[in-house]
Amino acid sequence: MTAIEWVRFLIGSLFLLIGIIMFITELYGVFHFKYVLNRMHAAAMGDTLAISACLLGLMIFSGFNFTTLKLFLIIVFLWFASPVSSHVLARLEIATNEKLSQHCEIYQDVSDLERELADRKKAEANSPADTAKEKEVSAL
Amino acid sequence: MELYHTLYITLLVLFSFLMLICLIRAVKGPQVADRLMAVNMMGTMVMVMISVLALLLNEGYLVDICLIYAMISFLAVVVLSKVYIGIYEERVRKKNAEEGSLHDSH
Repeated sequence: MTAIEWVRFLIGSLFLLIGIIMFITELYGVFHFKYVLNRMHAAAMGDTLAISACLLGLMIFSGFNFTTLKLFLIIVFLWFASPVSSHVLARLEIATNEKLSQHCEIYQDVSDLERELADRKKAEANSPADTAKEKEVSAL
Repeated sequence: MELYHTLYITLLVLFSFLMLICLIRAVKGPQVADRLMAVNMMGTMVMVMISVLALLLNEGYLVDICLIYAMISFLAVVVLSKVYIGIYEERVRKKNAEEGSLHDSH
């Protein structure tokens, strides 16, 4: 093999290595998280990023021909399909799980959530001052 | 060329192991959404495996099969989740109807 072929081989294998590492990370995330909606976050990463890296490596191996175009089409299709399937899965979970409030907080109205977030921010802004005061008190 | 051949075989073996782990998730998953997600992940890995096979055998048309596989696995997830939502709602309706009839008889 000439030097250019070696470089092509190394770059392609690098992309494939990145893809496999992403797949392993995805699997680790899927076993690490405790709830479906958290797991979905890890699984969606593999659907887009990991397969893109793997197919990019294969595209570099394949060279400039029609197979490369088709591999690129798979990546483009998955970019459109993966968010939609994740959304449909999340809707399935929301629609069928009766004990949803055990796993995550549910707000009936968006304004409730906004109010609580504002309260939380206010509390965070106040708390450093409180701890500083406590420190002063303890120093005294 | 021997190097490429070795690399492709290694990739295929690795992906088959990763798919086995996915299968464990599909069997263990407590909810239906877990299982569907695991099946979706396995589909993604099979897509990479088919593409590797296309380059290993030097047959370009296998990539077409990979594209169709992507479409079918997407369709499977969407249709299965819609069907399961329908089944669940039917079950809830039946349960509510039974409770209503019990309430009337009292």
